[in-house]
Amino acid sequence: MKKSTALAGIALASVVSLVSTANAQTIKIGAINPYSGPLALYGTEVTRGYEIAVDQLNASGGLLGKKVELIRGDATNPQQGIATVEQLVTREKVDLLLGTYVSGISMTASDAAMRYNKLYWETNAVFQTLTERGLPNFIRSGPDGNVFAVTSSKVVRDLIAPALKKDIKDVKVWLESEDSVYGTGVAKAQKQLLTEMGAQVVGVGAHSWKSIDLNDTVLRAKQANPDILIQTGYVPDGNLMLRTIREQGWKPSAILFVGTGDTPETLEAVGASYLEGVLVVGYPRNDIKDSYGPGNKAYLAAYQAKYKKDPIAPQGMAAFSGAQILFESIKAAGSVDPDKVRAAAQKLDKPEGTYASGFGAKFDDKMQNTRASFTASQWQSGAMVTVYPKEAVLPNVTLKPLGRP
Amino acid sequence: MDQILNVLVIGLLLGGIYGLVSIGLNLIFGVIRIINFAQGELVMFGMYGCYWAHVQMGLSPYVSVFIVAPLVGLLGVVIQRVVLQPLQSEPSMQIFATFGLLMMFQNIMLALTGGEAFSVGGSLGTEVISLGDTKVSMVRLITLLATTLITVGLHFFLKRTMLGKAIRAVTQDKRAARVMGIAVERIFLLTFGIGAALAGLAGALLTPIYSITPGIGGNFIMAAFAVVVLGGLGSVWGAYLGGLIVGVVEAFAGFYIDPVLKSAVWFLIFLVVLVVRPAGLLGQVGAEEVGFREQH
Repeated sequence: MKKSTALAGIALASVVSLVSTANAQTIKIGAINPYSGPLALYGTEVTRGYEIAVDQLNASGGLLGKKVELIRGDATNPQQGIATVEQLVTREKVDLLLGTYVSGISMTASDAAMRYNKLYWETNAVFQTLTERGLPNFIRSGPDGNVFAVTSSKVVRDLIAPALKKDIKDVKVWLESEDSVYGTGVAKAQKQLLTEMGAQVVGVGAHSWKSIDLNDTVLRAKQANPDILIQTGYVPDGNLMLRTIREQGWKPSAILFVGTGDTPETLEAVGASYLEGVLVVGYPRNDIKDSYGPGNKAYLAAYQAKYKKDPIAPQGMAAFSGAQILFESIKAAGSVDPDKVRAAAQKLDKPEGTYASGFGAKFDDKMQNTRASFTASQWQSGAMVTVYPKEAVLPNVTLKPLGRP
Repeated sequence: MDQILNVLVIGLLLGGIYGLVSIGLNLIFGVIRIINFAQGELVMFGMYGCYWAHVQMGLSPYVSVFIVAPLVGLLGVVIQRVVLQPLQSEPSMQIFATFGLLMMFQNIMLALTGGEAFSVGGSLGTEVISLGDTKVSMVRLITLLATTLITVGLHFFLKRTMLGKAIRAVTQDKRAARVMGIAVERIFLLTFGIGAALAGLAGALLTPIYSITPGIGGNFIMAAFAVVVLGGLGSVWGAYLGGLIVGVVEAFAGFYIDPVLKSAVWFLIFLVVLVVRPAGLLGQVGAEEVGFREQH
């Protein structure tokens, strides 16, 4: 063999071995969320769930014999989602993508990931179409928007109606929501489900979440004299609504918030004594029974140890559990290839109550996890306490009066 | 029908809020001929300032307003001097500049706060005067009173004081005023400062009512423009009356028709006013073209 050929051969071999050694060391996951902008608080919280899951995974041997490295990709709007995916895939060389607090960002980012044939594992975004469009690389471990409606309807039937000592047929409900696709979509589903259950939906209202004034909304609802007010929206309108209800002296027998109203932002706005008794449907929290959500306390402890504060919102734990389901699917598939992971995920059959957030794992043919639910909590003395479903509630917890003080 | 009085009261109180936010905007436009797109963000700064004073020093917004409003006013002076004065010869650039300030201010607060909503709860936000079905919220009543006082005060300031007359002179004819020895640039600084301070004041009075987010300024600005256009460009009483009218129309439309259509109401008012009487209710005919309004 000529010397130059040998040298070239050695050089090539060392380069190849270097490259493959680098590839062999880690599995890189791109975590897409808004880390700046108005939703940064929640985007970061969701990724913290991933980070805790990754820490635990690496401590116990990693994935497919390799360590997992999480690389953050900031996306504050759908267009940026595309750019961020491209950057993560081409420059950072991630093997797959994980996200996302915002449905709109998930839509475009997962589409971009498809072009590179990378898996997009969704843990949080709830928009229906994400799974309904049938994108081959998209799998969702968390609940979809419809589950908000399902859970809130069940809460009315199983928790509120008995507490009000009323038969479901005699229960009158006013459905209020913010006026975008999110809120009106949930309200529409709520109306259908509640009507099927036999409840009386006395009115459906919509308002802009940026409203400066909600007196008209509240007065219209008050006029219809419902027993229960259900509000699906965001923090500013939820806060303003509670203040307005208080100002107008309206005392509905029960108030149920869907999706928001469970953070200190609302506590600060109206105070603990007025907030007492208000119910919120949302992601499972850290005060659920261990039999319902195994390891939910351990998640809380891990979060406090790593970030030196309490969790900001329960979305993080859903992200944590979602990441764990992802890792299991990859292990079962023996690969990060989207088709192989999809096939492996489809075979999963874990009962509800397998993961910290109370999820199970059973994906339908659109790759939507059918065993992911929300819970309902009640504000009690300035703290959010899980009160539904029965299986999740801690033994010493009781339902406090639902009416206004 | 039994709600009519309640809805009217709601509308008037809402009008007080709109008037308060719009007065500064209208003053700046009338004198300096600038549409300050960042007016909502100055209100936002007032709110954050009072929130911070509340959390750090336990001060009620009704106390910290005396520090916060002048500080925001000072910011206004800086904006006029550093950003707008250099662009004096290019009015369209000035509009872009205030828009740029809007985005900059919003994103600064976003970076500082992470977007979390802050509120000053407190007992002041909850006091209500109950007259049967009609509920009068104390904080909103105070806001309406403040708006009225400010409007009257500004009226007398502009009419009776030398400084006020100087401002009116500049409004009528910049060049003639300069010839008469009025330092026009200083008048502009003062006016923007007052306009900004009024925005800061609005922020302080609105703090007990809303949850503060970096984007909250944007929630007011559309209504404020409708108010300014309706009331008459540059007219202080116009902003006051315009605010009340917009507030009442919105309250009735929201309750009797549908809350979803509320923002349509603003745009409808815009369209009707611009077609029927472009100068606004109290604006001088033709003012929308020349861009000034004689105070009387």
